[in-house]
Amino acid sequence: MTAEKILIANRGEIAIRIMEACLVLDLDFVVVYTPEDKESMHVELAMDKSHDGVKRAYCISNYRDPNELFAVADATNATAIHPGYGFFSENFRFARRCLARNRKLTFIGPRWEVIRDLGSKINTKRLAKKLGIPVIPGTDMPIYSEIDAEGIAEELFYSQDQQGVREPSVLVKASAGGGGMGIEEVHDLATFRQVYRRIQNYAKRLFGDEGVLIEQCLRDYHHIEVQLLCSQHGEVVHFGTRNCTIQSTGRQKRVEIAPGFDPSVCNYSFEAEKTLEKVVTHSVKLAKHVGYDSVGTWEWVVTQDGMPYLLEVNTRIQVENGISARIARISGMNDYPSLLEEQIRSAFGDKLGYKQQDISFEGTSIELRIVAEDTRRGFSPWCGTITRFDLPMPSSSWTTHTHVPSHRTYTIPTEYDPNLALAIIWGATTDDARVKAKEFIKNTRIEGSGPHGEKIVTNLDYLENRLQNILIF
Amino acid sequence: MDTNLNTILEEIRQNPFEKQVITTPHTGVLTFSVKEGAQVKGPGGKWLQRPGSLLFTVERELNSKKIFSPCAGEVSWLHTELEGSFTEAFEPVLTIQYRLTKEKVIERILKQVLTVFAAPQRARYFLSPDFSAAMEKNACPAIKPGDEIFIMSLMKRDTILPYSGDGGVVQNVFFKSGSIVDEGTPLIGVCPPENLESIQKLIAQVRSEWE
Repeated sequence: MTAEKILIANRGEIAIRIMEACLVLDLDFVVVYTPEDKESMHVELAMDKSHDGVKRAYCISNYRDPNELFAVADATNATAIHPGYGFFSENFRFARRCLARNRKLTFIGPRWEVIRDLGSKINTKRLAKKLGIPVIPGTDMPIYSEIDAEGIAEELFYSQDQQGVREPSVLVKASAGGGGMGIEEVHDLATFRQVYRRIQNYAKRLFGDEGVLIEQCLRDYHHIEVQLLCSQHGEVVHFGTRNCTIQSTGRQKRVEIAPGFDPSVCNYSFEAEKTLEKVVTHSVKLAKHVGYDSVGTWEWVVTQDGMPYLLEVNTRIQVENGISARIARISGMNDYPSLLEEQIRSAFGDKLGYKQQDISFEGTSIELRIVAEDTRRGFSPWCGTITRFDLPMPSSSWTTHTHVPSHRTYTIPTEYDPNLALAIIWGATTDDARVKAKEFIKNTRIEGSGPHGEKIVTNLDYLENRLQNILIF
Repeated sequence: MDTNLNTILEEIRQNPFEKQVITTPHTGVLTFSVKEGAQVKGPGGKWLQRPGSLLFTVERELNSKKIFSPCAGEVSWLHTELEGSFTEAFEPVLTIQYRLTKEKVIERILKQVLTVFAAPQRARYFLSPDFSAAMEKNACPAIKPGDEIFIMSLMKRDTILPYSGDGGVVQNVFFKSGSIVDEGTPLIGVCPPENLESIQKLIAQVRSEWE
């Protein structure tokens, strides 16, 4: 192994994926866990992989306490921190502190200045406007005054009325929020003030900043993402697009598909390939402008008439990175790439070693997020103990990522989301991928019982139903 | 209410001790300040503003956190191998054996004599803002079935948990708002209004009889 040692500052399946990437790259690693996660496979695997007798799993009080992470990093001589997604992955202060301490640590992600600049939706919007990249009509600075907010909302309602929008509405968003949190839709000006105050309170409580964004609410749009990979040497490549439109009521993604549109399954009213090309070009332009130097996702909405609007930039690895990698081929490489490995290599200063023209795309990939939740009751989370967890064996058609053990029972921790597994399906065509995804669901067996003996509830039926109408408006 | 206080007190008197395991609050390098068998003091002062005896310190990121004894008693066990080493969070460090205080005895008795509303499942519980305000106004606020008195936070979602059980007055809250409570652990103790006087007498009796 090399001298580098990575502290994996995350939990669940992403911790396992990072661990696997470390093993491929011949890097040492250490994981952290909270008492609630003691039974997670990421802890068991970290122990298993250390046949040399070195301890590689440490109990901490909280994943959100940076002092805990730095203390473990120092105690174990880690040289880098991989934040995964969520937690500290988009926290520029954390990334800056990694470099500012006496014992410096490599933050596996973009430079902290880039996280700061693109982490704010408002700043991203301003930058995008400057570069001529289309953004959603609305504010490009946080609003702190109720009177100003009402004025903007009134204007947005008026302009939608002028455009002949059938059900005009605006979105009120916590400007420092993310991941679908702190967003509400308002249908008329009369209820605006109430929603504005609620979001302002929420934003203050959760993000420490009561700034609010007000935007026109677009309808019948698709949520498109562009996966970029950049190095510290100015190289910028993309791994195509993804369609992440299928989301739960809490704006949490459930089914993702790469590429973003497929004209063979739907007659779009616009030239789908040209639209995807446009969002990729704009994304690359912004990445080059800010000197982006890691993996990142540019999130877009594309309306029914094919108009793209930049939504935000996620300066981290995404849950769904696997489907972009699954459809990509890099000339000279036998297998499809791993974006996690590429991200780690890039953080340690490696050159990518390939250009955009070396990357080609093949087939369609679908990600299914298997979650213990009741989709009929507002996606309410289910908690209890899983007694059987059998996912189909990995094959050329699918791979899976999970922190749920299949050889023992597992009680879902009540402190975190009840995500159980990710399945990444690949097919030569979208229809082929869809058939395989259905086959995967059919062969998945999950059993368990809740605190009062009630049967486990998962979203498998919901996922199967949603597969019927992927990629269409 | 047919509570034989003398029987309960007698049971407690037969073994008036409890043990409290002290764990590390977070990771860090640990240094002991006490030895096994040492007598330690609990917090003191009118508002418990004086900390108890210093038990150990945990140093992390050049910051030392001092851990003081939460009760008066004797250090009955010490994990001596941890001295000077990097310790994980929630690692048991020492045990203090202490004699039950009046408040602890009252709490034990109340759990037996009051109608207890227990946590339906392991989750983080909060008192609802309305109920917290009612508690501030009146130490024993009245409740009836259906009153929204708890917020159960589970898997990042908050759910209002209404009270179910006989109406009455809330005599005691057994948990700290915002803490994780295991399934079946009492959250509040409710007393029918007609029994309130006898419960308060019972509390007064413990206060006078328990040395």
